[in-house]
Amino acid sequence: MSFLHIQNLHKSYGPTRIFTDINIEIGQGQFITLLGPSGCGKSTLLRCIAGLTAVDGGQILLDGQDLVPMPPQKRGIGMVFQSYALFPNMTVQQNVAFGLRMQKVPAAEASKRVAEVLELVELSDYANRYPHQLSGGQCQRVALARSLVTRPRLLLLDEPLSALDARIRKHLREQIRAIQRELGLTTIFVTHDQEEALVLSDRIVLMNGGQIVQSGDAETLYTAPADAFAAGFIGNYNLLDADAASRLLGQQIGSRVAIRPEAIHFADSGIEAQIRSHSLLGNVIRYRVEACGVELLVDVLNRSAADLHHDGQSVSLAIGADAIREVA
Amino acid sequence: MSPAEKRSPLFHQLVVYLLFLILLLPLLGTLVYSLSTSWSATILPSGFTFKWYVALWSDTRFLAAFGRSLLVCFGALALALLLILPLLFVVNYHFPKLDGVMNVLILLPFAIPPVVSSVGLMQLFASGPLPILGTPWILVGCYFTIALPFMYRAITNNLQAINLRDLMDAAHLLGASTWRAAFMVVLPNLRKGLMVSVFLSFSFLFGEFVFANLLVGSRYETLQVYLYNMRNDSGHFTSALVISYFMFVLLMTWAANRLNKDKS
Repeated sequence: MSFLHIQNLHKSYGPTRIFTDINIEIGQGQFITLLGPSGCGKSTLLRCIAGLTAVDGGQILLDGQDLVPMPPQKRGIGMVFQSYALFPNMTVQQNVAFGLRMQKVPAAEASKRVAEVLELVELSDYANRYPHQLSGGQCQRVALARSLVTRPRLLLLDEPLSALDARIRKHLREQIRAIQRELGLTTIFVTHDQEEALVLSDRIVLMNGGQIVQSGDAETLYTAPADAFAAGFIGNYNLLDADAASRLLGQQIGSRVAIRPEAIHFADSGIEAQIRSHSLLGNVIRYRVEACGVELLVDVLNRSAADLHHDGQSVSLAIGADAIREVA
Repeated sequence: MSPAEKRSPLFHQLVVYLLFLILLLPLLGTLVYSLSTSWSATILPSGFTFKWYVALWSDTRFLAAFGRSLLVCFGALALALLLILPLLFVVNYHFPKLDGVMNVLILLPFAIPPVVSSVGLMQLFASGPLPILGTPWILVGCYFTIALPFMYRAITNNLQAINLRDLMDAAHLLGASTWRAAFMVVLPNLRKGLMVSVFLSFSFLFGEFVFANLLVGSRYETLQVYLYNMRNDSGHFTSALVISYFMFVLLMTWAANRLNKDKS
């Protein structure tokens, strides 16, 4: 029995369909990511689960109870917004205590719980600051603390890291995951960043155009994309049409093919190719090569400077049979 | 380096001070005139005195007019606040598309000159179901429409700066009703816009003459109408009145600025 069960959910604004026939099952304590390009309906789906946007049909069962007819105040859901949405007129302490005040929790217990949760997000020293005195990362941790303090049944994170700079983003996402594991909190995370999704999630739900394209763990999504969209969105797949793929691989292939750039190797013999250009991504060198009139990306681990292939150099490529995925 | 930067800073300061002097000159003249015993055929006043101020501030007619002006202004501002705050909240939160309509609507009081609209108001409210011409009520209503644009703009800007929707959503999810969220989260964040617009409208309304004179006149004598009625009196006396009025508005503005800076 799943903890959160979304059944046949659909939503449209007038003639524009935002999403249709959404079915998701989430087990207790799982970390699920809704991944997709902007405008795919993932944020609206999250707002529908929270009760901030009304749905047109379907059910959202949380622990066996249908949330759809309930107002957001009664759902027992915590949410963190991309814009932090901290109350500017209140201190960190007051922001975090707000939910407890609404629940009429006695002051002594409330201040104890606020102190605990501020400890959890490592902001105990900032309790008396105002939001405008904090950095973006600190603001988002306050917002996280504020949504955790009421002990929600479900935590929703709406692109919480998108407004932060890269270093803080990496640190905070690890912190979010650690806290989520510690509390065993069922969490839905919305992002358009595939790396975030792959690193954090127990399961990824990939959405496009208001529909679920593929749902599975990070490994499945990365190595076995369901279709051309999934292959194009996750990783840096080489997408070849049937003709190009047949020419390159020297065998008859009937559909589109996706090949991961790191699954192509430079070998002593194989497919003749020429290096067009290369870029250094740090631990990986990404080559743009041309073989049989097809342009490919090839990722090679940056072991030593001596291994570097120069632009214009001729090389041979080996592509493992298991790396070639036919996609619809 | 541009030519402007080559000139000495002294030149720039001189221009600014000169401008200030030109702007302040009439006020300074009035101030000196209000403090002098008599100043007619000589270059400098013949002597200085406070007697005009003493006479003014002990005149019960002046004090009554002063009180009436305060009452009408604060009445209009209270009415405006009471109506505009909920209206703005509803427009911004539930019907953001109405903002365009509101922007046209609030410009109407500017589009019609006071003299023209007061003639219309006179006809409308002289008789009929609401014969309030000549009473302070018509002034309160009329001043409300003048304060509307100032308040609407200032508070709208303030509302747009605080990301109203996300704040309301966050408060709702934490268990607050829309009313509680509006009072605890939105209202405190509008303090700045409210203060600025209230004091701006106040200083404007406090000196309003055309409507006050045409719609009510001496039947409910406000400060400006009193000043007008005193025009044939001693110039020293009316000068003292003008300076007193100016100092009062200045004091209010200064107080508003202080209040704003303290907490933010």
